[in-house]
Amino acid sequence: MSWVIKAFSSSIGKKLVMAITGLALCGFLAAHLGGNLLLYVGAEQYNHYAEALHSQKLLLPIAEVGLLLLFVMHLVTAVRTTLENRAARPIGYEMRQSKLPPGPFLKPASSVMYGTGIVVLLFLLLHLSDFKFELRNPAVESETPFAKAQILLRDPLTAIVYIIGSFALGYHVLHGVQSAFQTLGFNHPKYNSGVKTLSTLFALVVALGFSSFPLWAWAFHSK
Amino acid sequence: MMTAASPLLNGRCPTGPVADRWQKCKDELKLVSPNNKRKFEIIVVGTGLAGASAAASLSELGYNVKAFCFQDSPRRAHSIAAQGGINAAKNYQNDNDSVNRLFADTIKGGDFRSRESNVHRLAELSVNIIDQCVAQGVPFAREYGGLLSNRTFGGSLVSRTFYARGQTGQQLLLGAYSALMRQQHVGRLKVFPRREMLDVVVIDGVARGIVVRNLVTGQLETYAADAVLMCTGGYGTLYYLSTLAKGSNVTAAWRAYKRGALFANPCYTQIHPTCIPVHGEYQSKLTLMSESLRNDGRVWVPQKAGDTRSPDQIPDADRDYYLERRYPTYGNMVARDVASRAAKERCDAGFGVGAGGQSVYLDFSEAIRRDGEAAIRARYGNLFDMYQKITDENPYKNPMRIYPAVHYTMGGLWVDYHLQSTIPGLFVLGEANFSDHGANRLGASALMQGLADGYFIAPYTVSNHLATRKLEKVTTDHPEFERCLAETRSRTYKLLNINGKRTVDSFHRELGKLMWDYCGMSRSDKGLRSVIQKIRGLREEFWRNVRVPGSGNELNQNLEQAGRVADFLEFGELLALDALTRAESCGGHFREESQTKDNDTLRDDANFCHVAAWQYTADDRDPVRHIEPLEFNDVPLIQRSYK
Amino acid sequence: MSPTMSLTLKVWRQANPTSAGEFRTYKVHSISPDQSFLEMLDVLNEQLIINGEEPVAFDHDCREGICGMCSLMINGQAHGPERKTTTCQLHMRKFKDGDTIVIEPWRAKPFPVLRDLVVDRSAFDRIMTKGGYVTVNTGNAPDGNAILIPKENADKAFEAATCIGCGACVAACKNASAMLFVSAKVSQLALLPQGQPERTQRVQGMVAQMDSEGFGGCTNTNECEAACPVGISVENIARLNREYIRATVVGLT
Repeated sequence: MSWVIKAFSSSIGKKLVMAITGLALCGFLAAHLGGNLLLYVGAEQYNHYAEALHSQKLLLPIAEVGLLLLFVMHLVTAVRTTLENRAARPIGYEMRQSKLPPGPFLKPASSVMYGTGIVVLLFLLLHLSDFKFELRNPAVESETPFAKAQILLRDPLTAIVYIIGSFALGYHVLHGVQSAFQTLGFNHPKYNSGVKTLSTLFALVVALGFSSFPLWAWAFHSK
Repeated sequence: MMTAASPLLNGRCPTGPVADRWQKCKDELKLVSPNNKRKFEIIVVGTGLAGASAAASLSELGYNVKAFCFQDSPRRAHSIAAQGGINAAKNYQNDNDSVNRLFADTIKGGDFRSRESNVHRLAELSVNIIDQCVAQGVPFAREYGGLLSNRTFGGSLVSRTFYARGQTGQQLLLGAYSALMRQQHVGRLKVFPRREMLDVVVIDGVARGIVVRNLVTGQLETYAADAVLMCTGGYGTLYYLSTLAKGSNVTAAWRAYKRGALFANPCYTQIHPTCIPVHGEYQSKLTLMSESLRNDGRVWVPQKAGDTRSPDQIPDADRDYYLERRYPTYGNMVARDVASRAAKERCDAGFGVGAGGQSVYLDFSEAIRRDGEAAIRARYGNLFDMYQKITDENPYKNPMRIYPAVHYTMGGLWVDYHLQSTIPGLFVLGEANFSDHGANRLGASALMQGLADGYFIAPYTVSNHLATRKLEKVTTDHPEFERCLAETRSRTYKLLNINGKRTVDSFHRELGKLMWDYCGMSRSDKGLRSVIQKIRGLREEFWRNVRVPGSGNELNQNLEQAGRVADFLEFGELLALDALTRAESCGGHFREESQTKDNDTLRDDANFCHVAAWQYTADDRDPVRHIEPLEFNDVPLIQRSYK
Repeated sequence: MSPTMSLTLKVWRQANPTSAGEFRTYKVHSISPDQSFLEMLDVLNEQLIINGEEPVAFDHDCREGICGMCSLMINGQAHGPERKTTTCQLHMRKFKDGDTIVIEPWRAKPFPVLRDLVVDRSAFDRIMTKGGYVTVNTGNAPDGNAILIPKENADKAFEAATCIGCGACVAACKNASAMLFVSAKVSQLALLPQGQPERTQRVQGMVAQMDSEGFGGCTNTNECEAACPVGISVENIARLNREYIRATVVGLT
C-alpha cells in the first residue's frame, strides 16, 4: 500500500485529501443543517429527531469518529500544505496585486482559506463545548434538546459569535466546493458555471441557514 | 576578379542524377559501431532547431553530447519566434506538389545562388521532418477530419506549408527541446545553459573543443570533444534593429572564422517585407508578422504621392496595389526580397504612408468583407493582437502599416555537403551555415533547413567524421586550450579596462544605422566603399572609448554585449566587402548598378555564379576571397520572374 | 508625438545569489508611451552606465513575447498590469507621467535570484526531463497523416503547448506553485495519441520532480491563469489532476 501513501503525500495528493475530506464534511454540514431546520417545524419534531440520533449507540460513535477523522485529516493537511506553500517563497514581494478581475468581496474566498479555516475551527470548538460538552452552561444538561438550543443561542454575544462563525463557514465552502471539483479533475466548459452556481448556493444556504438559528433564538425566545 | 574554383572549397557533393545524390552519399558514409559510439564526445553550440535536433539525434545514436546555449534554457533559442510555418513536399493537398517542385522553387527563390545538391536533399528530407515532429507531439493545425492542414507561402504556387497557428517555430522548437530533455534524462546528453561560446579550439588542424564564458559566474570554461557542431544562428543583429532576439550574435561564427573556417556570402541578408514599422529612436527591435498575412492582406499605397487622407477615405481607384500590378501571377505572394524592395521603392518615390512616409498598407478589409471578421481572427488572431499591442491601432478597422526589416541571413560559415566547415571536425548547421538558401530564403524554409540539418544530415555525416578520422584523445589540459583561454581572457580584460565614455549600445546603434543605410536593401559601389571606412573609424573609436562597467567574474550582461558588438564591428566590414565585391544583384543582395529597367535584380551569371567564401588572414590584412562555382543542371539558370 | 513621461523606479538590486539585496530608487525622464517596458529599462541602464554605476541585470531575449525569457514583477503583478502580455510587450502607455513603479524579480524558492532581476528557472527544465516528451527516436516516425487527430483535440493540445515557460504562474501564485506550467505539458501530450504510451509515467515523474524542487501546492486561486502571458487555462490543472488520479489507480507504482 506504499503507493497510496506516496500518491497522497504528493502536492496533488494532498490536494485530493483536502478535496475529498472537504466534500465529505460538506455532506455532514448539509445533514446537520437539515436536522437543525426541524427547530422551525416544532419542538416535538426536533426533540424526536435528536433523541433518535442519540439513541444510535453503535452508529453514532462510528459517525463521530469518522467525522473527527475527516476533520483532523482536513486540518492537518491544511496546516501542512500551508506551511509548505509558505516555505516555497521564503522572500516575499514588496508589492502584490492580483491580476484577476475584481470580485464582489474585498478578498476572494480562495485567498483567505487559511484564515476562514481558523475561524471555523474556533467556532467549531466553541460549538462543541456548548452543545456536546456543555462546558459554558452545564445547567442545560437537564433540558430537552429544543430548550437547550433556545437557551444557548439566545445570549446576544453567543448569537453574534455564531453568526460570524456561520458566515466564515459559508465563505470557506464558497471556494471549497468549487475548488474540490477542480481538484478532482471536474472542469468542463459546459458545466463550470453550474459548479460555480452550486457552490455559491451551497455557501449561501450554509451561511444563512446556520446563522438563522441564533437569530431565531434571540429574536423569538429571549427571556 | 578571380573566378577559378578554390582548392580549399571542396564541396564533396556526390555526382550523378541530383535525386540520387543524397542516397549515394549516405551509402558511402562510414559508420561507427554501437559500442564505440559511447567513447565519442560531441559538442553542440546553440539549441535552436538545428542545435537541439542535432544534439538529441546524436545522443540517441549513443554519442555523449554536450549542448550549450547562452539563454537560461535551451527552449528559448530564437527559432521559437518563427511564426508562419514549415514547408514539406507532402502533396497532401493534391495540388501537384512534389520534391522536384519544392527543389525548383527553392533554387529559384534563392536566385540561383545555392547548391543544387544541397537543395534537392533539403526538399527530399522535408517530408520526414513533418513525420518526426508529429510523432513528437507537435500540435500542427488540423482539418476537421483529423488530417494535417496546409497553407500557401510566398514564392510558391502550391499549399505545402504546415503550421501551428502563428507559432510554428515555437512548437517545432519545443518538440526538439523535448527530445533534448529526454536525452538528458537518459544521461547521454548534458545541457549547459547560460554559456556563451567565445572560441573554438583547433588542434592539429581539427576542431577539438570550445571556450565558453559561464554567464552566471563569469568564469571561462573549456570543453574538449571529438567533433564540434555550431548551430549558432544568423547575424542579423548586426543591423541593431532586426527581428532577431537581442542576444543573437555572430561571435561564435566569427571566432571560428578567425580560427580558419571560411565565411561564405556574408552579404546575403534577408529583409522581411511584413514587419511593424520603426516608430522611435529608443526602439530596440523590430517585430515581424508572418508573411502568411499576405495570403489575405493586399499591399497598397496611394496613387498620388503625399496623399494624406486616412486609408478609408481613399477610394479603390486612388490606390496602387503595386505588387498585384507588377507581378500579376504571384501578386501579393511574391518572394520576400521582391516584396521588400518594392515597398522600399514606393516609399523612396514618395508614396509611403504613416509618419515619415516609411511604410505601406497591408489591407484586410476585402478579406474581412469576404470571409467575415471571425474567419480572419481565427487565421491571424495572434498577429493582429500583436500588431495592436505594439502600435495601439486596430488592424480589423484600419489597414496595417508595414515596412521591411532585417530578418534572416543566408550567408554563414562555408560548409561542404557534409555540413563540415573548412576546419575538419567543425560542423555548421542551420542559419549559421550558408548552404541552402542561396541569395534569398523562401518563407517557411528556415525551419525546414534547421531540422533537416539537425535530425537527418549531421547524425550521418558527423558519424562519418568520427569513423574516418584518426582522433587522438585530447583533454582540456592541452596547451592549445590554454592558449585559446588566455587569448579570450586578455580580450575580456581589454574590454573591461577601456573605461571610455560611450555605452556599448550606442556603438551598436550607430553601426546598425550605417549597415542599414549603406548595406541594407540597396547597395552601391560608392556607398559600400564609404561605409567600410566608416566602420573602421567606429571600430577604432570603440576600442578607445567604450565603457563596460562591472567585472569579468560575475553576471555581466554589458560585457556579454560588448564582446558581441566588438565582433560585429569587424564582421560588418567583411559583409560590406563581400557586398562590394559581388557587383551583381541577386536575391536579397541588390546592387543599384545591376538592375533591370523595372528595378528588379539583375544577376551577372557570367562573373558571379559562384559562392564567395572569405578566409581570415590577420587583423590588419584583408581577407582572401575564395570561390566555389555553382552549376545548374536540373533547374535551368534563368532570370527569376514572379510576373 | 505624444508627450513623454518621467517615472520613479524602485528596483531590486542584488549583486549575486548569496548577497543580500535591497531596493534602490532611480528616476527616468523623457520616456515615450510607445516604448516597451524593457526599452524603458534600457534607457535607465544607459543612464546608469554613463553615471558610472552598474546597470540593472534583467533577462530578455526575443522581445516579441514568445521566448519566455523576460520576467519581472511590476507593481506586484507578474509581467505588469496588462493581461496576456509579457513584459517585453508591455508598453509604457499603460503608465502615467509621475508614476512610481516597483520592479522585483520572480520570488520562489526554486527560482533563486542570480543577480538583480535575473532568476534561475532551470527547475522547469529539470521537470521537463522527467517526462515532458514523447519517446520517439529520430527516424522512427510513421507518416504524419497516419494517425488522425480530431481538430478539437489538436487545438486544445496546441493551446496547452503555447506555454512559454516564463514562470509568471509561479511568480503570481501565493504558494509559488508550478502546477499551471506542469499541467500545460501534461495536457498537451495527454490530448494527443502520441502521448498515450507514456501517459502514466509522465504525470507521476513530472509531479514528483515538481514537488522535489520545492514549488508550493495549488489552492485553485486562479492567479496563475490571470498572470499567464499566453492565457494557459486552469482547465489544464484539472486535467493534470485527472491524469494524476488515473495514474495512481492504474499505475504499477
